[in-house]
Amino acid sequence: MIDGRSFAAGQAFLLSVKAHWTRVIYPAVRAEYEKSNDSFQKNVLYRYFCWLERHLQRFKYSGRYGLQPYHAQDRARFEASLAEAEVELREEMAFPQYYTAIDIHQHPGGVWSDPIAGFVYERGARSTTPLAGTRHKDLHERLTAAALDGRPAPQRMLDMACGFGKSTRPFYEALPEAEVEAIDFSAPCLRLAAREAQRAGARKVHFRQRDAASTGYPDASFDLVTSTMLLHELPPKAVERALAESARLLKPGGRMVHLDFLPGESEFERLIHFGHSRRNNEPFMEPLARMDLPALLGRLGLRNVEIRPFEEADGALAPGYRYWRFPWALISAER
Amino acid sequence: MKPEQTFFDDPALDRAFGVVMALAQEVWVLRDRVQAMEAQLAERGVLDSKKLSEEPASDERAAEREAFVANLMQQLVGEQQSKGMP
Repeated sequence: MIDGRSFAAGQAFLLSVKAHWTRVIYPAVRAEYEKSNDSFQKNVLYRYFCWLERHLQRFKYSGRYGLQPYHAQDRARFEASLAEAEVELREEMAFPQYYTAIDIHQHPGGVWSDPIAGFVYERGARSTTPLAGTRHKDLHERLTAAALDGRPAPQRMLDMACGFGKSTRPFYEALPEAEVEAIDFSAPCLRLAAREAQRAGARKVHFRQRDAASTGYPDASFDLVTSTMLLHELPPKAVERALAESARLLKPGGRMVHLDFLPGESEFERLIHFGHSRRNNEPFMEPLARMDLPALLGRLGLRNVEIRPFEEADGALAPGYRYWRFPWALISAER
Repeated sequence: MKPEQTFFDDPALDRAFGVVMALAQEVWVLRDRVQAMEAQLAERGVLDSKKLSEEPASDERAAEREAFVANLMQQLVGEQQSKGMP
């Protein structure tokens, strides 16, 4: 049995360690890298940096005060609370091999196999960015602002790989008149997303269990197609299919906006990012970084293709910024 | 299950550091609980926080502490505690 106070204290401890890792250990690793020769892989501080990235996440999900055991002991209540959720599910959803082979984020059972996985994921996502301070505007709100900025409000939009609905919410709140479609593979996440939307009084958002590579919507269905942290979970062939599907679904003049991670050219940045990929059980970050996305989007007949760094928190793109961060990138194109 | 990833030359260090971090987490969970308990007891007038935090006039728990330390250090001696195999 894990009581609530001990769970909160255990998780808060991990978050404090992660914040220290972000703000103190990472800059120190970088400084050692800059003065090192080619034996950096043997650097002791770097090894602790790697160990902590791997195992703090393990503690967070599976440890003595982990998200999974904490939520599992209250399973009946969590499952019952999803009964009201209105969501379109498939009886025999065929998952691709890449989706089920590895538990992403070290989430035991992945984000899809356990009926309470949405709750575990949601709670975990609250502490993914330890630098999120008081002035922090949530990155999903920032994406929404970037996607809607200076353009006519979309009438119909699709959010691919919506998860438990965190990325969809600022869209349906900003666009109460729009038809918002949101799709994902994970039934537990979709149920939680739908429950939250119902509780928020959102009437024109629909959650459906569908594959972003093959959505089943007619051609030219949407003014806006979005995804947040989808592409790096896909092998390159699936990235190609998801982007081709995005292009197919756009009305002429419509726009796709995909928020993801693309490291710069620096060796250090790539070492850290590709290492994170392995340590966090997300194997496709490196293949994504090696894809020629502008060429791919061009072949799909899209125009105004733009890939630019994305400021996920105030000051994160400032030249003197020294803390660990994801290499956020906004990938957009118009049909 | 697959073997866990390792980051040090000796995987014993990877595992032992996991024990260190697990203990550190337990220390924080306990410290949090003790402090919360003290605050609740003080609120109800059951506990005098100031007195609790003062340096004690005498070594109140010397015997218990010595037994605690003896048990800890006994581990280093490397002697069998029962008649046994070489």
